[in-house]
Amino acid sequence: MKRRNLILNGSLVLFILIFLFSADNFFDDYPLRLINLCAIYIILGLSMNLVNGFTGLFSLGQAGFMAVGAYTTALLTMSKATKEATFFMAPLIWPLNSIEIPFYFALIIGGILAAFVAFLIGAPVLRLKGDYLGIATLGFAEIIRIVIVNTQTVTNGALGLKGIPNDANIWWNFGIAALTVAAIVSLINSSFGRALKAIREDEIAAESMGINLFKHKTLSFILGAFFAGIGGGLLAILQGTIAPDMFNFILTFNILLIIVLGGMGSVSGTIISAVAITLGTEYLAVIDKPIDFGFFETPGIPGMRMVVISAILMAVVLFYRHGLMGTKELNWDMLIQKFSRRPLKKGGIES
Amino acid sequence: MSQNMDMKKTSLIKADKITMQFGGLTAVKDFEMELKKGEIVALIGPNGAGKTTAFNMITGVYQPTKGKIILDNKQISGLKPDQITKMGIARTFQNIRLFKDLSVLDNVLIANHLHLKSNFLEAALKLPKYRREEKSMIEKSMYLLEKVGLADLRDEVSTSLPYGNQRRLEIARALATNPKVLLLDEPAAGMNPKETEDLTHFIKHIRDEFDLTIFMIEHHMDVVMGISQRIYVLDYGVTIAHGTPSEIQNNQRVIEAYLGVEEDA
Repeated sequence: MKRRNLILNGSLVLFILIFLFSADNFFDDYPLRLINLCAIYIILGLSMNLVNGFTGLFSLGQAGFMAVGAYTTALLTMSKATKEATFFMAPLIWPLNSIEIPFYFALIIGGILAAFVAFLIGAPVLRLKGDYLGIATLGFAEIIRIVIVNTQTVTNGALGLKGIPNDANIWWNFGIAALTVAAIVSLINSSFGRALKAIREDEIAAESMGINLFKHKTLSFILGAFFAGIGGGLLAILQGTIAPDMFNFILTFNILLIIVLGGMGSVSGTIISAVAITLGTEYLAVIDKPIDFGFFETPGIPGMRMVVISAILMAVVLFYRHGLMGTKELNWDMLIQKFSRRPLKKGGIES
Repeated sequence: MSQNMDMKKTSLIKADKITMQFGGLTAVKDFEMELKKGEIVALIGPNGAGKTTAFNMITGVYQPTKGKIILDNKQISGLKPDQITKMGIARTFQNIRLFKDLSVLDNVLIANHLHLKSNFLEAALKLPKYRREEKSMIEKSMYLLEKVGLADLRDEVSTSLPYGNQRRLEIARALATNPKVLLLDEPAAGMNPKETEDLTHFIKHIRDEFDLTIFMIEHHMDVVMGISQRIYVLDYGVTIAHGTPSEIQNNQRVIEAYLGVEEDA
């Protein structure tokens, strides 16, 4: 069994590598961009799932932390000339106007800054529970956005930033996504991960077992913000332009949608649903156009795909109340069991 | 334990006139309690007498409105529950509070977390220091699970266990925090007579093996009378009696509190 799983895992990794290689070399810009977007949404989904799914904190601050990461990365990687051209309303303040560093350093700094903001916000906000925490974090994310709009000499305000160098190729995006998966899986399976899950399951019992609630909630919140910052930075690099409007609460809800669909508290569920939703929302654009079924022709209604996506979401929430995976992780035994449809042995014992 | 040791035993935990008020309601008034090392002491009283409130004050879930609690000559009232647990008080809950979705082993492992010395980076990177700690945590947890007879069920989801086993798991989880004092909130609730008898032996056994002092709330009088050296009786938040089991059994006020008073008395 162990050997079989090893082989299957190896082939899966190999398959992904071959797929990424061919995508990098043969795909057009548009599908390539979508595939890159999948990697970024995997990072964003996991970072939010760490906080919401594994620690059970209802946090809606994702877009705010992403904005911090995105703006930091953009400001640190844009060339001096681009900055001068972009900041035509008011010049960029020193020293930002003369800094230009490689994007990987910029991403890390962006992540750290987002984590620092989370640290500052965490102290007052993490005393709240449930819906109140959701509203407070949502408020803070909006505050970050408003601050960005109003600091013309740092962020170029509502005009946004253009010409962010597109240096992160598909390998960088998926490499960072893989590192994020590895880091979060490793944390979740450690004693700290168990403590976070204990807080999710029952705060009073967790505290009575000696778990410092505030310390562990802050840890989760900061780590989530760190990865959100990196995800935001990668998004800025992929898109090349960013504006404050991008980072409104709808962005947070898109990522919330990913983790709810995939399963709060499931890494593999998040990965599956990040890919499915990213590709789904784009490729379902087909149904916005008229489709001819032969006997029946659907009228092309722009926005039709959102109706379909909402219907799918409702179906998932109705039939899989805990998302596709719940708190479980996908594994080969489960898949093989499901698809081989081998009847259970007598007494319901799995073979 | 020898006789003269018994004489010299000093107070391990002491509650000094602790009072808990919720707005205008006084749930517990001037509760005084003292446990000596190695004792098994029971707290009894009719429903709503304030027993669990007293537990919640000792474990830090509630901050006493008045009075203080001393453990090992250190004041613990005012500290948070996790700090109090670190100082050596563990508890179980009346309405079982296991970590529902997690496995039996994970439930016990979580209670080891407070003694973890590695930080989260060492844990996430699985450095040798953390691996050693994790290994000894698992060994200790498995030992405790064997003690409570749940070692075979280590991978089961905790809530799939039958009720009696869930209570045992809660005790194993509390023991994993390395307590000096163990508070049991109705450990025999919902158990049949056979299970109750087993539990009585089990409580004595863990007291001796883990060098514990036990304070428990219980309604099963056979458990209470069988193993406790002393009993405190609460009624409407007030301590109405305190003494050995035989003294309590014959105490008029206790009988009245449980059975009611005749109107014309």
